[in-house]
Amino acid sequence: MLTFDRYVTATTLDEAFDALQATPGARLVAGATDLLPWAREGRAGDVHLPALVDVGAIPALTAVTGEDGVLRIGAATSIAACERHPLLLRDAGLLARCAVWFADDQIREQATLGGNLVNASPAGDTLPALLAMNARVVLAARDGAGIRERAMPLADFITGPGRTRLGNNEILVRIDCDAVPGHGGAFEKVGHRRSLVISTVCLAVLARLEPARRTLADVRIAIGAVGPVPERLGDAETALRGQRPTPAAIREAAVLAADRVRSRSRQEYRREVLVNFVERGLVAALEQCGLAVQRLPQEIVHA
Amino acid sequence: MPDPSGFDAAHPPTTHIVATVNGRKVARTVPIHYRVIDFVREELKLTGNKEGCGAGECGTCSMFVDGTLIKSCLAPVQKIHGRTVETVDDLDADQGMTVIQRAFHKCGASQCGYCIPGMVMAATSTLRKRPRASLDEIKEGLGGNICRCTGYQKILDAVAMARDVLNGTRPETDLEEAATDSFIGSRTRRLDAPAKVTGAIKYAADLWMPNMLHMQVLRSPHPHARIQRLDVGEARAMPGVECVLTCDDVPGVDNFGVFIEDQPIMARGMVRYVGEGIAAVVAETADIAREAVKRIRVTYDLLPGVFDPFEAMKEGAPQLHGFAPGNICKHTRIRKGDVEAGLGEADLVVQETYRTSALEHAYLEPEAGLAYLEPDGCVTVMSPSQNITHHRHMLARILGRPINKVRMIMSTVGGGFGGKEDMLYQGMLALAAIRTRRPVRYVFTREESIAASAKRHPFSIDYTMGLRRGGLIVATRMIMVSDGGAYAMSTPGVMNKSAILGPGPYTIPNVWVDAIGVYTNNTPSGAFRAFGAFQSEFATESHLDLCAERLGMDPAQLRRLNLMQDGATTHTRQPLDRVAATACLDAALAAARWDPGVPHREARGEPARIDLGGPGTRAPCTLGLGTMATDKETT
Repeated sequence: MLTFDRYVTATTLDEAFDALQATPGARLVAGATDLLPWAREGRAGDVHLPALVDVGAIPALTAVTGEDGVLRIGAATSIAACERHPLLLRDAGLLARCAVWFADDQIREQATLGGNLVNASPAGDTLPALLAMNARVVLAARDGAGIRERAMPLADFITGPGRTRLGNNEILVRIDCDAVPGHGGAFEKVGHRRSLVISTVCLAVLARLEPARRTLADVRIAIGAVGPVPERLGDAETALRGQRPTPAAIREAAVLAADRVRSRSRQEYRREVLVNFVERGLVAALEQCGLAVQRLPQEIVHA
Repeated sequence: MPDPSGFDAAHPPTTHIVATVNGRKVARTVPIHYRVIDFVREELKLTGNKEGCGAGECGTCSMFVDGTLIKSCLAPVQKIHGRTVETVDDLDADQGMTVIQRAFHKCGASQCGYCIPGMVMAATSTLRKRPRASLDEIKEGLGGNICRCTGYQKILDAVAMARDVLNGTRPETDLEEAATDSFIGSRTRRLDAPAKVTGAIKYAADLWMPNMLHMQVLRSPHPHARIQRLDVGEARAMPGVECVLTCDDVPGVDNFGVFIEDQPIMARGMVRYVGEGIAAVVAETADIAREAVKRIRVTYDLLPGVFDPFEAMKEGAPQLHGFAPGNICKHTRIRKGDVEAGLGEADLVVQETYRTSALEHAYLEPEAGLAYLEPDGCVTVMSPSQNITHHRHMLARILGRPINKVRMIMSTVGGGFGGKEDMLYQGMLALAAIRTRRPVRYVFTREESIAASAKRHPFSIDYTMGLRRGGLIVATRMIMVSDGGAYAMSTPGVMNKSAILGPGPYTIPNVWVDAIGVYTNNTPSGAFRAFGAFQSEFATESHLDLCAERLGMDPAQLRRLNLMQDGATTHTRQPLDRVAATACLDAALAAARWDPGVPHREARGEPARIDLGGPGTRAPCTLGLGTMATDKETT
């Protein structure tokens, strides 16, 4: 059970910092969907905190804007907003594809993008999608009377399962990422069931063709749940960039993903799924760019 | 004095919440750590929405906050301050039932009913957002809500029917009960269904009585230990604690069980599994009781445990109960004919070992109960018990009272599947009510339910079958060893049933069955749907498929050859007058469009089956892609 002495619903960033400063050991919440299950038997158990500081309703943290090819997404933007915010649908369609697979309809309304990043679960669903969009996290801290911001690539922010570079008196306020209106996108996920499932493997792909539509101008592949931190498949991206996306080239790139599986369990299964996901994800992303690529037929082996 | 953890359960900090709930303005001061579900259920006593898991997994607590459906067990109560909440209790706005609720009723989409309020809320949300939702969208909308007994088909039928009625593409009269001459094959009204689809029906955790106390239980963290010292003094001294019960408080014979009396209501000097109850605290609030449980001091003398039934039967293994040498809880034998001779005559002998695992029932309603004293001194326990008469007899003995001073009321069972058949906590509750002379309620958390309740028996089945070349079975030998866990509970019955039904509905001249239930330091195994037959039948049917493959025979034909006929005698020598097994098999084969042949024939390079897929079979799930394609992409 979770107990605490104070609950502060902040309406401005200043109020949130005031509360953090006044109560050492206070914990930030936004959607709070992970917090209550965490404070139960089998996980953290009974937890008592001096204060909860709710930043979910601070307008600056739920704003979504974009200019010059950069999307600025408030950290408390709900996962559900990814499915319906016009700007996100236009410039970050990949997030909607990811959101469809995230928890369930009801939790998507509460859970936030920033919360998913701060939790830093190796299986966090939005992480591969944001990595593929070259996301940078913006962390704010109070500096005298003002607020000082620092930014870093998402890949650097997450350092291990549940571990980030978020400082004690910092708040994750925003995620800046590439607007990718012309890219095809795909999100793949497998788990034990359809809804409310923790990923066993998840994958995000972005792809864009040259104007002549023959070669790949840009391709980005990010994987999650197969190792301690989600990561990009740099070698597969390099192998494909500037190339014609033939079935054989896609297969070759997909196979490169096999040795990225560093999970503690079910490695063989994850390798097979991951390689197939990379292949299927690339084919699906290209299909959105208007290019139909056949997957190479696979030999069916019966046990 | 505040607890070292910083939480003073007797005086928790409070918060003032003002909200509009079901159209009425409410203003209440509640403990600051309340979740939305606590506010609605415990403070407002609106119990239509349930708590099944407390972790956002099951959806029984789904409520609208400012028109958006959320899991109210995941939301701190402050999230509704100044907002509008809708629960299932008033969804109909006092009009009886909404169209969606009527459709659930009409389609029979309520069984235990525990998930149904959440399902109705999710269906309402889905159709509010998308009045013409496709089947995929309905499934997606209901994806966060789990049902364990209705089966989703009726629920999906109901939502689709409600959608069509609301859209006017189907007459409202379709929601009315059809007048038929026959109950068979027609949708017949369930008497309790209206109360289930509206959330009006009360489960044990929904019950509330004036002056009610709350119980929490200290459970063992060790699988096998002697309790050297049990000190409840500090817990008992806490303000708000009414009493602390241990086995010393049991007035009668503290030794109960359905088949074997081997269980105390709380550990008596020994603990035999992780999760066994040791002491019960009764206090003014559940929070105080929880805190008091933490202040009970137990000194354990740890003992070696045994966790595998084969190990438990070996000489020198730790012994769990003095009366059961070799840890044998139950050994059921069936002997018919001469199996050795039968196997000798066989053209083919197939030997294989099958294993099944322990399973959690995962009923949506965690265990709960309310006990109180009647004015005449009769102690009454209301709980979702699947075996109240037996529980009543056992309770009378435990409490040392005449049976007419003990009353069991079976509250609505929010799913049982056998898991609520074995008595687990009713004794503690009755004792608490007698001791305090006040009503006492006890509600398990999901974690507690999984830790303490019985599981399906895991089996290891060593199977030998002898057959003639043409497929006739001549002999069967099944040696089944099962983990019964720390207490017998239903193990003897499960062993009997697995043995009796194990060889299946087949005519076999020579049968040898051993079903051995063994005590171990695992969570007790108990009743679970099919009561043992599931495990042994699984082995038999798997084995027949294996034999069919070895014989190069169609597996359905192998069964048809051996199925009992009219006038057959069972393996335990019961004469059967009429046997419809062959007709049943033929009907099933026709319905499945069975494509005869050897199993696994694709692996032999033979043509693939033609009976998979096709009309009337369920299409694979396309969720995600399906809902993406409809409207999100085109926005």
